Amino acid sequence: MGQVVVITSGKGGVGKTTTTANIGAGLAKLGKSVVVIDADIGLRNLDVVLGLENRIVYDIVDVVGGVCRMKQALIKDKRNEGLYLLPAAQTKDKDAVNPDQMKELTGKLKEEYDFVLVDCPAGIEQGFKNAIAGADRAVVVTTPEVSAVRDADRIIGLLEAAELNNPRLIVNRVRVEMVKRGEMMNIEDMKDILAIDLIGVVPDDEHVVISTNRGEPAVHNEESMSGQAFMNIARRINGDDVPYLDLELQDGFFERLKKLFTFK
Amino acid sequence: MGQGRFVAFKGTKTGIVLQLDDQPAFNDLLGALDDLKEQAKSFFKGAKVIGTEGRKLNIEEKRALARAVEASFGMQVVSLEMVKPKPEPVKAEAKKEPEGPFQGLEEGITKFVRGTMRSGRSVEFKGNVIVLGDVNPGAEIIADGNIVIFGTLRGVAHAGADGNDKAYVVATRLLPTQLRIASLITRPPEDGPMPDHPEIAHIREKHIMIEPYL
Repeated sequence: MGQVVVITSGKGGVGKTTTTANIGAGLAKLGKSVVVIDADIGLRNLDVVLGLENRIVYDIVDVVGGVCRMKQALIKDKRNEGLYLLPAAQTKDKDAVNPDQMKELTGKLKEEYDFVLVDCPAGIEQGFKNAIAGADRAVVVTTPEVSAVRDADRIIGLLEAAELNNPRLIVNRVRVEMVKRGEMMNIEDMKDILAIDLIGVVPDDEHVVISTNRGEPAVHNEESMSGQAFMNIARRINGDDVPYLDLELQDGFFERLKKLFTFK
Repeated sequence: MGQGRFVAFKGTKTGIVLQLDDQPAFNDLLGALDDLKEQAKSFFKGAKVIGTEGRKLNIEEKRALARAVEASFGMQVVSLEMVKPKPEPVKAEAKKEPEGPFQGLEEGITKFVRGTMRSGRSVEFKGNVIVLGDVNPGAEIIADGNIVIFGTLRGVAHAGADGNDKAYVVATRLLPTQLRIASLITRPPEDGPMPDHPEIAHIREKHIMIEPYL
């Protein structure tokens, strides 16, 4: 029996889809069988990021509506053996699926696959409710921006209300130099506000833009810092204890010492 | 029966107060007292009479009344002075007018909220509110009484929401988006220092003042 993990953020554009694609690819690289579901009906993207857009025949609405069988709609990834995509419909809207149907769908999938990752649409409406309906765990993606952290906070509250307790936090697009200069929110401040456990910090990286446009997740690129960070997140989701990359640790020894003294 | 209404016994915390009608003649009062004797004798035995209200008595009348009360009811007369009429109307007013602002700042109904209040959460309460956790930006507390936060206040807090300007807001760290007390609104300075100690916000001379607490 696998598990269903929803990847959500509240705010749009913080990297949910990229994160879903990379964690999915990362877990597949670890030898797990993975289905990534694009729950953003009407604004699908995950297929593009994975480079599978031109292979779509059936989508999630077809599966739920009984137009096709599940296996027909699942698209096998071109690089990873164990990775499959269940794409969203582009011509329908969020009401085309309801939470009960999502629950049934993910419930069926997790019987066969180790991980079912659900890429949640931005917002807190129907699409969000659908995406979290069948989830066992949640990962909240945010960026070091005040607005993204606000939305993440709201989302965590809604997740808790839906009894998806203790979601994990990914801080995406961190620019280490800016944080060091004090021009960007630091990780500790974000953890302090959101009060949930971190599962990874991903540096801002030009590689991601290139790999997203090419439809090749960054985890395949050994030289990409963000690829490494996503790979580590995949390992942590898989239950491995992975130490944080140097760049992920925002507080050096001296900063921590300083903090200790200032708090008294 | 009619005469019975001339005199009434009123229990207070410290003893019995005799409520006297000031219309009838004094002798009729004594008569009324005598009428009550049969029904209430054993009930009042040993009770203390601490004063009267409703009618001014001269010294003679007081003596007569004291004698009658002691003899008829077995009560102990401590005083037959007029009790201060003041506390009575005030209490009556408070009970009659629930429309006034919340008065339970020192001792009143209180709501406890456990855990972090995240964005989008709103707590409205006709009394004091205590939060055991943080109040994040986008969350709001509206209380008719005081607001006490065991954690960081980053959202909006409105104390004394129905008009009590004695209400206050206390937080382990007071970093609100906006702070309201009674009809006053304030927001923190743009580049103010970050407090690392508990603070209290209250109204001083028509301004919301923030001061270190403890």
